[in-house]
Amino acid sequence: MTSPSVSGALLLIALFALLATGMPIAFALGLVSIGALLLTSGFGSMEIIGETFFGGLATFSLVSIPMFILMGASVASSPAGRDLYEALDRWLNRVPGGLVLSNLGACSLFSALSGSSPATCAAIGKMGIPAMVERGYPKSIAAGSIAAGGTLGILIPPSVTMIVYGIATETSIGRLFLAGILPGVMLTALFMIWTIISCRMKGYSFEQMARRFTFRERMQALPRVLPFLLIVVGILYVLYGGVATPSEAAGAGALFCIILAAVIYRIWQPSRLTNIFRTTIKESVMIMMIIGASELFAFALSSLFITQSIAMWISDMDVNRWVLMGIINVFLLVAGFFLPPVAVILMTAPILLPLVTQAGFDPYWFAVVLTINMEIGLITPPVGLNLYVINGIAPDIPLSTILKGSLPYVICMVVGILLLCIFPGIATWLPTALMG
Amino acid sequence: QTTLRASHQWPGGQGDIRDEMVQIIKREVEAADVGLQIQIYPGASLFKPNEQWGALTSGQLDLSAFPLDYASGRVPQFSATLMPGLVRNHERAQRLNDSPFMEEIKKTIEENNVVVIADAWLAGGFASKENCITGPDSIQGQVTRAAGPAFEQMLAAAGASISSMPSSEVYTGMQTGVLDAANTSSGSFISYRLYEQVKCLTVPGENALWFMYEPILMSKRSWDRLNEEQQQALMAAGETSEQYFAEEAQKVDQELEKVFSENGVEIARMSEDDYNAWLELAQESSYKQFAENVDGGQELIDMALEVE
Amino acid sequence: MRAYIAIVSALSRAGGILAMLLLAAAVLVTCQMIVVRYFLNASTVWQTEFVIYSIVAATFIGSPAVLIDRGHVGVEVLPNMLSPGPRFWLELAGAIAGLVFCILLAWSGGIFFYEALTRGWKTSTVWALPLWIPTLPLPLGIGLLALQYTAEMLKLRQGERLTASELPMEELK
Ligand code: NA
Ligand code: NA
Repeated sequence: MTSPSVSGALLLIALFALLATGMPIAFALGLVSIGALLLTSGFGSMEIIGETFFGGLATFSLVSIPMFILMGASVASSPAGRDLYEALDRWLNRVPGGLVLSNLGACSLFSALSGSSPATCAAIGKMGIPAMVERGYPKSIAAGSIAAGGTLGILIPPSVTMIVYGIATETSIGRLFLAGILPGVMLTALFMIWTIISCRMKGYSFEQMARRFTFRERMQALPRVLPFLLIVVGILYVLYGGVATPSEAAGAGALFCIILAAVIYRIWQPSRLTNIFRTTIKESVMIMMIIGASELFAFALSSLFITQSIAMWISDMDVNRWVLMGIINVFLLVAGFFLPPVAVILMTAPILLPLVTQAGFDPYWFAVVLTINMEIGLITPPVGLNLYVINGIAPDIPLSTILKGSLPYVICMVVGILLLCIFPGIATWLPTALMG
Repeated sequence: QTTLRASHQWPGGQGDIRDEMVQIIKREVEAADVGLQIQIYPGASLFKPNEQWGALTSGQLDLSAFPLDYASGRVPQFSATLMPGLVRNHERAQRLNDSPFMEEIKKTIEENNVVVIADAWLAGGFASKENCITGPDSIQGQVTRAAGPAFEQMLAAAGASISSMPSSEVYTGMQTGVLDAANTSSGSFISYRLYEQVKCLTVPGENALWFMYEPILMSKRSWDRLNEEQQQALMAAGETSEQYFAEEAQKVDQELEKVFSENGVEIARMSEDDYNAWLELAQESSYKQFAENVDGGQELIDMALEVE
Repeated sequence: MRAYIAIVSALSRAGGILAMLLLAAAVLVTCQMIVVRYFLNASTVWQTEFVIYSIVAATFIGSPAVLIDRGHVGVEVLPNMLSPGPRFWLELAGAIAGLVFCILLAWSGGIFFYEALTRGWKTSTVWALPLWIPTLPLPLGIGLLALQYTAEMLKLRQGERLTASELPMEELK
């Protein structure tokens, strides 16, 4: 039997080699794990691989993932994003940088209805990017602010990654959701501040193109935002008013949103409804397969005693807790460059959380720091889902411009993490105040 | 040198008595110096709770501290080990261990290629946000999360609304008001911090409805691979851990009462009459369905009830 | 060869539609469960399990269609940097690895399903659903995924790319 460090290194090399072919992450993870189990425990492990994969998915908390994605997809397919964005614009457009503020504000409000970041990005960006470009904002800022604003989808509840974290670490999903709210607001504010500063630096005059809306026009925009607000309030009530658990609230939210799309926005044609479901299946099957494969991967790592050895090795290093947190952040950042959030959380959270809590950090605070790291991953190359979404909805903006526009927001998020380290209350205050 | 892998779902090294049982077996066996080592995977860090049975029967896992009822979907007779009112209190649990009832259960376990290393019965109680759960009337109309299907059947017969919710959501369920009452083990009541949510706790005491069999099990395949010396060392270690458990199990119940009353939760006990009323209800619900659906079900219940 | 691709893809598409229906059923049953418990104050016995197994089934049964749509995300840095010749071989290697995974998982899932069926296993709940029902989608869906993988490899020979993923939200444009 080889030592855990050797087998761990071999496992990682095999995984990287498979990932390099561009094959699906889920299948690469699964194959490496099955291979390791067959080599070490013999052919008998075939008797438990299927059950382990199945058991990893057959968890009630996980069913909320497709449902929250369905919720976001049905709202994203409706003009609700446009209405929201327009209403904000009519009210804010006399404020310097009002358009930027309404875009980022719409992103963060939309995040409250979508568990995933690409949906947020697409829903607001479809309208927001052309409008900003039309009013003469630099293309890099238009694309970058939406790419960054879209990442809020996984920080502001509901959030698919928070659900996955909650399951992987056995923490309360309701609490995790609450912990994400204030940091979400903080990041939105940081994004807004940076956008206005960079516009000034590029010599963009905010006054030049702002159209004046009458009070009447402003009031007219409000009713169209109502259904949207109704759903947000409805879901908050279902979640925290004793009607249902977070997992069940996802089902109610999905049904609300489909009914909203069908009744108010008249999206009832079978072909359009099918499209909403097809998009949902596509994204959630991808995530669920990664979850199942991660279950196998975690099993293989634990079976070879790799997980335990890494944990012991890190805790034996006996470094200052902030140095530890720094190392963990760099590690997460690098992992996020290459892997989607769900895969990173599933593969690392069970190893990292015991170390982090041992060092005296709050598990809910850490969830927020982890999520912001994952948000950074969404807008950094080589694998940055939001970058590709922006590229898809605004094909005339080259990828390099989107990249250039996004990078400053990475700095904003790093600043956000630093602020959270200095003032952990930003994440922990709300759950403590509301849930004790 | 043989290394055995032991798995369970409770926190490791933090004083949980089921973890401690496995730790004792590890210490004793390694001290016996018979070329046997045990690697413990606590906190479901290797197998998920429900997957341990399949892994034991197929020889993929060597040892486990396992709530036997988890496997009742595969071996329906095991439901008898989480059946309302069959145990009553810790003293009777000891007598039950040497009864024909447990002989029958262990025979079934062995037929499934698994060996029992040590016996353990854990007690549990009820807690509610509304009132104290004593007799069957007291739970009427409350949305309840019960631990175990046989309990769900009995509580439904008492007029409770059963909500099948994972145990991890019980706290949130109580907090948001989705749940009114819950029924689980003493240890889980403490570790899920339910004292923050409930108004009244019914402690196990002398008339406990809820008992669960959570033995230390070993895969027959792994057992057969050991030499006689190693098997004896394991059985001796199992004996030591069983004695430890018998002494500690009641302390968990005392700890439960202490923690909850310190947090201002009202404490209730079931009277003899309450207990008999529940048993009567169980006869018509869980016992009846168990007897109808499971081979030898009626005999198992009769054997258990016969124990003094 | 073209007929093979067409037949397998049609099966996968049918699986995709079944997955959508399962998802819709799961949403409706979740809402029914909330209504039954919160408004009618009645017991909910089978709903949780039904919802879990529907979503798991949707995952397995929907997986082949998601492969056609290139929805299973991969790290495409290296293939994107290569010229078509070397890229073909790299993607073929990835496809073979993916196929091996699917075969092993479907096989192992098949063992699980077969045991559940022949031994009459049930879920350990009041509902006591025969376990072969929720486990069948694993060998079925992943088996079909393996077939679809071979179809994608044939397409690869016809000059298509395996890793050029579409955007997850592209249908929403
Ligand atoms: Na969100
Ligand atoms: Na990235």
